[in-house]
Amino acid sequence: MRIEVEDLVLRYGDVTALDGITLTLEEGKIYGLLGRNGSGKTSLLSVLAAFRKPTAGRVRIDGQPVFENGRVTSRISLIRDVGETVNIGTGEEALSYAEALRPNWDGEYARSLAELFKIDLKKSVKNMSKGQRSAMGIIVGLASRAPLTMFDEAYLGLDAPARQVFYDQVLADYLAHPRTIIMSTHLIDEVSGLFEEVVIIHKGRVLAHEEKDELLAKGTSVTGPAAAVDAFTAGMTVLGSRSLGPTKSVTVYGELDDARRRKAAESGLELGPVDLQDLFIHLTAEDGAAR
Amino acid sequence: MLDDRSPIYRQIAERIKADVMSGVLKGDEKVMSTNQYAAYYRINPATAAKAFQQLVDEGVLYKKRGIGMFVSPDAQEKLRAKRRETFFTEVVDPMVAEAKAAGIPLRDIIRRIEELEDS
Amino acid sequence: MKFRILLANCLFALLVWAAFWVLVTLITVGLGLTGRLTQSAWEVAAQLPRWYALFFGVSLIHEYLPLYVAHGRTRRQFGVEGALTLILFAPFLAALLVISYQLESVLYGLAGWPHVLERAHMFTEPTQVPLVFTEYLIEALAWSTAGAFMGAAFYRFRGGGLLSIPVGVLLIAFAHSAMGVEPWGPFLLAWLRVLSQVVFDLPDSPLMPLLGTVGVLVVGLLLTWAIIRDMPLRNQAS
Repeated sequence: MRIEVEDLVLRYGDVTALDGITLTLEEGKIYGLLGRNGSGKTSLLSVLAAFRKPTAGRVRIDGQPVFENGRVTSRISLIRDVGETVNIGTGEEALSYAEALRPNWDGEYARSLAELFKIDLKKSVKNMSKGQRSAMGIIVGLASRAPLTMFDEAYLGLDAPARQVFYDQVLADYLAHPRTIIMSTHLIDEVSGLFEEVVIIHKGRVLAHEEKDELLAKGTSVTGPAAAVDAFTAGMTVLGSRSLGPTKSVTVYGELDDARRRKAAESGLELGPVDLQDLFIHLTAEDGAAR
Repeated sequence: MLDDRSPIYRQIAERIKADVMSGVLKGDEKVMSTNQYAAYYRINPATAAKAFQQLVDEGVLYKKRGIGMFVSPDAQEKLRAKRRETFFTEVVDPMVAEAKAAGIPLRDIIRRIEELEDS
Repeated sequence: MKFRILLANCLFALLVWAAFWVLVTLITVGLGLTGRLTQSAWEVAAQLPRWYALFFGVSLIHEYLPLYVAHGRTRRQFGVEGALTLILFAPFLAALLVISYQLESVLYGLAGWPHVLERAHMFTEPTQVPLVFTEYLIEALAWSTAGAFMGAAFYRFRGGGLLSIPVGVLLIAFAHSAMGVEPWGPFLLAWLRVLSQVVFDLPDSPLMPLLGTVGVLVVGLLLTWAIIRDMPLRNQAS
């Protein structure tokens, strides 16, 4: 589903969680939503799913307002850590509510996922471990096959192999049933391969929204003798730097054309890629280096 | 290439090229779909599609609408020719430079090459 | 599927009732055999189901509203289904109590125990089915409506929900006064009865119970709707 957000503001009392978000997300892609704790990820997703009414601004999904609009919300699924979709009786009961309320529910798929995650559906969800409850949420989120499916840090408590199952299933089910998927995460390295586009929010504002490969192409590490590095990076957006004796490594942000690359090679500088997690850390650094 | 940056789609493109050059993938043979590549490498299909697009632009693959991607009949020869062009600058020159740095006489390298050729 | 919540709660209530029935019957027989049974045991036992109704109302807002909204239903859609569920669950609870009194009368009859009521009710005999049903229907409606209202207030305003308690108590008191009986059991606060008589000096009329009940239901559900119509789902588990 196509998402259009304009000047979105959300306040909790005196606290401003979303401070003027403007964002357009095209249909049918997997988006990574990145942000530090308290940056507004959960708030943004909660507004998109009509869990909350925005304080100000506009949210349209497939051109329609979202809050209290059943025709749109019936096509949206947001799985949060709170677990409002699963904290109801046993695993079986939770699935039966999902089946009753979700128009595209695939019960067989849900059961096969429960087996993959080794969930005993006869058990009360509230008595399950944190990881098992997270898995229940993932099962409900995937098997709902909602045209807009969102996972807000849905992996909490899952061990590494279970998280791999989660990522593989998201990808496999997306390939089989293409839809718009938004995943918020702190485990960027693990999952960044799945993203087509990345949205970084910081302090309630959009810091970056780009195709992942383009965003990655903008980050470059420049390594070499300190003087040469300083001369080369003068005037560029420097996100961070580290020194080891006479050697300096600087992370710069911005497109480097072939001429500059050639110049780097001539100055004996080594140019290297920066992975998404490092880029994210640098971009959202609190010391004012960002942007 | 001027640097060692290699996004995943470029790595995939390189691997397909290597398969074409070595003959694992033959001319007019169908290659796996973007979805199959995506699932195998655990990446977004758009990223896999980028690798394919790059190979189409380079003339290694061609697209049959609604059917899939195929290896160009002349791809292997093209890639080999290109490889021959860059082989000395990309493989031999660095090797010689390294041998010099390590103090290996060129004669020893030549002897080694002749041994490999004979065996 | 409509009325999923109603069905689940009826089934669950049936199980709880069955267990409760066994317990009450065991106590009844125990008291009867030792000669200490002087009244209908269910007259005492029937003071617990009203609390069950209250927490059913609370759970509608605390559990089911977030579940439905998270599954893409609107608050309005849930409001309609929730209200209907609440209205239809009450007669189910009342019917269970009717059955309890009926079974009890058979037991008392067989054992020759005195099947008498100690307090004033709409009914004078435990076997007056329509009146027994009506009294417990009104009670269940009032208590579950008050529960939904207070549950909504606590879910939305957390500590501020405390302010909803007097309103919930008033709703319940009004319904009980409208029944024109003294339904408060020994472990309920006596001041409530006084309050209901002082605040609602209701005239005696056969229509009063009906009007009172409808009034409590409408006011209680509207107050609940006022809280939930744009209520956000909590970000943290409660």
